[in-house]
Amino acid sequence: MRTDEYLEELCALAGVSGDEGAVRDYIISKLSGEFEYTVDPLGSVIVRVKGRNPAKHRLMFSAHMDEVGLIVTFVCSDGCLKFSSVGGIDSRVLYGKRVFVGKDRVPGVIAGTAVHNLSDEELKTAPDEKTLVIDIGCSDKESAEKLVRQGDTVIFDSEFARFGENNETYCSRAIDDRAGCAIMLKMIEDVPEYDTTFCFVVQEEVGLRGAKAAAYTADPEFAIVLETTTAADIPSSKAEKRVCEVGKGAVVSFMDRHTLYDRELYRMAFDTAAEKNIPCQTKSVVAGGNDAGAIHVSRGGVRTAAVSLPCRYLHSPSCVIEKSDLEAVYRLAKELSARIQQL
Amino acid sequence: MLCTQNAYTVPQNIATVCAGLLEKFGKAETDGCGNVLCKVGEHRPERKTLLLNAHIDEIAMIVTHIDESGFLKVGKCGGIDVRVLPASRVTIFHNDGKTTSKYYGVLTSVPPHLQTDSSKAAKLDDLFIDTGLGKKAKELISQGDMVLIENRPLEMGSLVTAKALDDRACVMAVLLALEKLVGKETAYNIEVLFSSGEELGSRGAKPGAFKSNADLALIFDVTFGRVHGESDDEYCAIGGGAAIGVSPVLSRELTNALTKTAENAGLPYQTEVMGGGTGTDADAIAVTKGGIPSCTVSIPIKYMHTPVEAVDMNDVENTAALTALFCEGGDTVANR
Repeated sequence: MRTDEYLEELCALAGVSGDEGAVRDYIISKLSGEFEYTVDPLGSVIVRVKGRNPAKHRLMFSAHMDEVGLIVTFVCSDGCLKFSSVGGIDSRVLYGKRVFVGKDRVPGVIAGTAVHNLSDEELKTAPDEKTLVIDIGCSDKESAEKLVRQGDTVIFDSEFARFGENNETYCSRAIDDRAGCAIMLKMIEDVPEYDTTFCFVVQEEVGLRGAKAAAYTADPEFAIVLETTTAADIPSSKAEKRVCEVGKGAVVSFMDRHTLYDRELYRMAFDTAAEKNIPCQTKSVVAGGNDAGAIHVSRGGVRTAAVSLPCRYLHSPSCVIEKSDLEAVYRLAKELSARIQQL
Repeated sequence: MLCTQNAYTVPQNIATVCAGLLEKFGKAETDGCGNVLCKVGEHRPERKTLLLNAHIDEIAMIVTHIDESGFLKVGKCGGIDVRVLPASRVTIFHNDGKTTSKYYGVLTSVPPHLQTDSSKAAKLDDLFIDTGLGKKAKELISQGDMVLIENRPLEMGSLVTAKALDDRACVMAVLLALEKLVGKETAYNIEVLFSSGEELGSRGAKPGAFKSNADLALIFDVTFGRVHGESDDEYCAIGGGAAIGVSPVLSRELTNALTKTAENAGLPYQTEVMGGGTGTDADAIAVTKGGIPSCTVSIPIKYMHTPVEAVDMNDVENTAALTALFCEGGDTVANR
């Protein structure tokens, strides 16, 4: 299967942090008895893949299965649902979006006061989760509770779309980090050169929790985190504020809010990319963070690199990436893993 | 079906679709303004002519600038609620006069990782549409192309949510009323005006009503339905039936006749009192030619001017029932 086909199927699944079951089941189904895996106590999938050669170093790849979303906190007397965000969501992307609530995907809309009825002051303020509710079309608490329960997770209604030139730009919710999962599935399918451990982890968006436990169990010497990272390359943002750019290849980080990355691996990534002609860029703003933050301080310390896809509108219903970057991350991850075994 | 159509697709657009839907009730014509006018059934000189009006345009955006990297700037076409825009998906309609090409786009947003202050509402000026088309955007898309957030209808509990329910819910109520009237004797000659340009200031209704022979007019539009946190003295109830208008600019006689019709038939209704202008096509139609006594009949809607507008289908049905009964002469003002 192609990486983008894995990605499309993965993005169709709901997996808000703490509720990653559907994504986990899909990943296990793709291992189809051929690969040895364990599900750890928190729900992460750890796959130990035998390579064509035994490995000199214990290497772990990691990507997270969970996505940002919402969680129902209260069912109001008028049938509307109060909610909290799960993971960092800018409240400006909430109002007027369609959502699906719970396992049965009950349709709803994120609702508030009509624009005509706002005061001048309210018009200047972004509506946030304190004032917004989810309307599922029920007029009282009783009928709403027949459809949903407190604690149900909520995803944006956002179908995977291919658009732009040659339909090679993709838009969906949950690309963060199903893209990393898709690349790992492709790497497993292709069977790596050396023995490698692949961790599909839970709860990244609520504090890098799954990776902390999984890294302990996997016990690696080296780790490569496959992620998506903020591309702010829109016309209103200046060059130094763009972080990275869609279409300019794999993003290799030197530092983010959780990690100062291993310098040798950082350089190795750029050398490898140059040698193999893989488009590659760095992250030009110290912002965000990923599972590397938990992994590099696991046990006695793990030498860690992050290779990410540049992704616009991260943590929104409409994350945007390009096919060429997906390929670049896949190729760089593969080359880098072989190179690490030469150390 | 009504909510999946728009005015920007050629040759099949909302006006031609509506003309097609009216064809079985009478001869329907579209005019140069994008209006649809239809004389329903037989028109006899001894009867007064009643105009049933709803608008078929919808709020949208319009492309104002295209940059080298495939991003578009847009302006408002009607009072779209800008708060819904960040990270929304859109369709861009490009016409060459004969056919329409559609392009997909995403409205930009800045992720929380880079925000300093996310409490300020988004401004249209800060947003772009990402087409993914790069340099090609300039060849494929033109300034002036229209842009929509194309949410298709979706059932949600007892409600239906979709784009453009303002005012397609009312177009539907009028069509349902006409269906109920097939083969029945009416107290009036019935004319239908599905007007364009309401969201920009009744630009279709003015010439449309001028071309009609109306003596009386009922204007069907949506009104604010109560949403979470609003009290019952503020806005109409969703599911409470048609909201019959009362206003100095409307005909009190028509208001009373509609109210009586609803009461006699036991149909649910509510009263919407306005202190002056109604903010609908009624304001223009009432002063067309020598004056046309008018009244508004409104369907309560939630989240007006967003792509997730929602109505209760019972309100649509009850509005249609009230309209049909009124046309039959439930409480007639025909012979005053």
